[in-house]
Amino acid sequence: MNQGNGQKVGAVLVVGGGVGGMQASLDLAEAGYKVYLVERGPSIGGVMAQLDKTFPTNDCAMCTLAPRMVDCGGHLNIEKLTYSEIESIEGTAGNFSVRIRKKARSVDPDKCTGCGECVEHCLVKNIVYLDQPGRAPVQIEESVRTKADRIIGRYDGDRETVVPILQDITDEFNWLPPDVLMRVSQEKQIPLEHILRIATFYKAFSLKPRGKHIVTVCMGTACHVKGAPRIMDRLERELGIKTGETTSDMRFTLESVRCIGCCGLSPVITIGDDLYGKVNPVEAAAILDKYQD
Amino acid sequence: MEPYRTHVMLCAGTGCVSNGSFRIKETLERELKKHNLQNEVAVVMTGCNGFCAQGPVMVVKPDDIFYQLLTDDDITHLVEEHFLKGRPVQKLMYTPPAEELPVPKMSDIGFFNKQRLIALRNRGMIDPEQIDEYIARDGYTALAKALNEMTPEQVIEEIKLSGLRGRGGAGFPTGRKWELARAAKGETKHIVCNADEGDPGAFMDRSIIESDPHSVLEGMIIGARAIGASYGHVYIRNEYPLARERLIKAIKQATDYGLLGKDIFGTGFDLDVSIHRGAGAFVCGEETSLIASLEGRAPEPRIRPPFPVESGIWDAPTNINNVETWANVPDIINRGAKWFSAIGTETSKGTKVFSVVGKVKNTGLVEVPMGITLREIVYDIGGGIPGDKEFKAVQTGGPSGGCIPQSLLDLPIDYEKLAEVGSIMGSGGLIVMDEDTCMVDVARYFLEFLKDESCGKCTACREGIDVMHGILVRICEGNGKEGDIEMLEELSEAVKDSSLCALGRTAPNPVISTIRYFRDEYEAHINDKSCPAGVCKALITYVINEEKCKGCRLCAKNCPQEAITGEVKMPHTIEQDKCIKCGVCFDVCKFDAVSVT
Ligand SMILES: Cc1cc2nc3c(=O)[nH]c(=O)nc-3n(C[C@H](O)[C@H](O)[C@H](O)COP(=O)(O)O)c2cc1C
Ligand code: FES
Repeated sequence: MNQGNGQKVGAVLVVGGGVGGMQASLDLAEAGYKVYLVERGPSIGGVMAQLDKTFPTNDCAMCTLAPRMVDCGGHLNIEKLTYSEIESIEGTAGNFSVRIRKKARSVDPDKCTGCGECVEHCLVKNIVYLDQPGRAPVQIEESVRTKADRIIGRYDGDRETVVPILQDITDEFNWLPPDVLMRVSQEKQIPLEHILRIATFYKAFSLKPRGKHIVTVCMGTACHVKGAPRIMDRLERELGIKTGETTSDMRFTLESVRCIGCCGLSPVITIGDDLYGKVNPVEAAAILDKYQD
Repeated sequence: MEPYRTHVMLCAGTGCVSNGSFRIKETLERELKKHNLQNEVAVVMTGCNGFCAQGPVMVVKPDDIFYQLLTDDDITHLVEEHFLKGRPVQKLMYTPPAEELPVPKMSDIGFFNKQRLIALRNRGMIDPEQIDEYIARDGYTALAKALNEMTPEQVIEEIKLSGLRGRGGAGFPTGRKWELARAAKGETKHIVCNADEGDPGAFMDRSIIESDPHSVLEGMIIGARAIGASYGHVYIRNEYPLARERLIKAIKQATDYGLLGKDIFGTGFDLDVSIHRGAGAFVCGEETSLIASLEGRAPEPRIRPPFPVESGIWDAPTNINNVETWANVPDIINRGAKWFSAIGTETSKGTKVFSVVGKVKNTGLVEVPMGITLREIVYDIGGGIPGDKEFKAVQTGGPSGGCIPQSLLDLPIDYEKLAEVGSIMGSGGLIVMDEDTCMVDVARYFLEFLKDESCGKCTACREGIDVMHGILVRICEGNGKEGDIEMLEELSEAVKDSSLCALGRTAPNPVISTIRYFRDEYEAHINDKSCPAGVCKALITYVINEEKCKGCRLCAKNCPQEAITGEVKMPHTIEQDKCIKCGVCFDVCKFDAVSVT
């Protein structure tokens, strides 16, 4: 790095304050260089903060990220230029001049203690960074809300109540309507993301409206060897939908289940609470006729 | 109990209920009343009796007459003949497949008389919704003994000596687990009854809870006291509403009797049992995942150690056992470790409940001593294969298990023997397969199941199973390539070695065992593009046998593609280019004229 006028500057500019930028800054700063860390957003951290785990080791993302953020935040050799963008670069390796536009933050960083009071009182909330889901009152129909509140009121506790609440909602509405989930999030002070995570993990929950009659074909092992796939094919054709879908008249939803513990009667289908054992595809299709109301 | 002359034990397990046993109860009571017998004959709704295929079933005590396949119409006749005139009705009795005359007595029927009931000791004998009936059959005496006459250490020692091993799959010695849980440091401790029964094709946990919920509760109370736990949890599958309902009733009754709650039997020992309903995820049966689910986290397994006995629910020591394990406990305490360990084999003591299902005549639930051979289960108890078909394999251990071929039918069943031949005991599903079952399709089926159920936390399991499934689908669709089998074997090793939890570590088992014993079927799919069992849609054709076809036009009427042509009374033919292989013609034909090649 000994070029141009032969002068070498003991400072490095790092562009981007994600995990890579932070690590580079830390390594350089430890090696004795002065580091300018430029980041476009209002805070360093980058996208890694949004990940749960990282490939391929399944390490927790926050555990990797947080120590580096703290180190960067406090390192005397690192000057953080957040909410800033590069306008131009001149010069050659070893000796650059860079123009940086620092955007107005309207907060004196030396005095700010990060109490968050300004956020509370701001009338035009900064949507991207600080908006909390469910803060604004959820738009929900009166009757639905009473039902939802009754269910929520049955359970006392924190996250361990999510599954039972979602089960009761499913029993009541047959699916998980989004406004009800938002109500749960708001009332229970549990992030909507967590509720959705649980709702999508389990098979018993549906984020789509389901039909009046839920037709379930058992695809357990005993039923499989006794021809359940052919029953499923037949019902799919009969109803004109695929597994997991609902007919357009909202009458039938077709689902599969992995064993309902009636393997002695396999193959088994259930419609609502009624169970039919030892059926063949033709009989299964005929059973549907009973539910054409 | 009231001095009834006769008790009618009518099965009210899920299988029989779906076949109308409650309707039969009504008719029965009405008919009895008509003949003024209601004070002489009592109708008892029992839990599952095990012989689900012949449901609805009932047993008349004390004569021990077994009636099966009952319908409403039979009842009038039955009440008149049996209860009024004292003549058992032959036509409603069970006729074993190989015999001509029906066998009247339950204890003479092959399905029942090879069984040895410990976990299911009260099945069909009591009304599961009445705690008094359980108590009348020595219920809760083991608890009294464990609380008043034994120290917790003695209880654990007794369980250790009995050789009881976990019935949930891995077969970990129960006494040892309890000992670890007792030794673990923690102010509060938990016990969990794992009733998540995810293994498709197994329903013993459901049946135990439905027919005798108090035996599980009693086992849990004894265990809790031995370990020093004050919280009990039952994690039960969403698909088992009846079992859940009975358990809720049982807990309520036990609490009313002072057997649960505060200061049990005046010993100062407290236990609260709560019920948690699963929501349909197989992986929740895995213990660390179950704990995560109970706590309301996303139910993903975590690395062990620390094992749940050290750090489980809310980081407190937690002892998890399967339903069947708990149900064994009271009998061991009552009758002693020596009695229990006299049953079974060197390494596996006691009995095991199996659900014998699939292509077997007597499907149902059986409890047999460890060390019994597969042949005895399939032929003596199960009555053999229906329709004179050839036996091919049994699958044990669910998605983590493997297929055992005909050559190993004389294998005595215990934990070690099954592992040796590439399967596992698992929770006790035993699925019988005949010549019409395609083993490649079975492997594909299990991997599809596991692909759906993998929680996605670790890459080896999520991606590995998906790739293996893809290869199997390709083989089943007739696009298999040279080298696919070797590729599957290699992937199996990789997934086995690098998965986080036992779901992934055992996922390749169905593939490995089918390749090991049925490599020829894989080769037929790949090289000859044919499915010997006639299952894989892409590789089969339906044809009508001209000689057998009577020209009834039934198949033609039912064919959704109008692919069947032919005049009335003349042999029909299938136009292969229109056929979508739905198999309707095969199902409706009354003359066996449609065959699959
Ligand atoms: C993927 C997976 C699924 C499981 N499912 C069940 C289950 O449905 N029921 C059960 O009792 N154990 C299940 N287990 C085993 C449990 O993790 C645990 O070993 C068992 O409940 C311990 O009880 P035991 O010692 O009485 O066998 C499963 C394990 C794995 C890895
Ligand atoms: S496999 Fe279908 S009910 Fe068990």
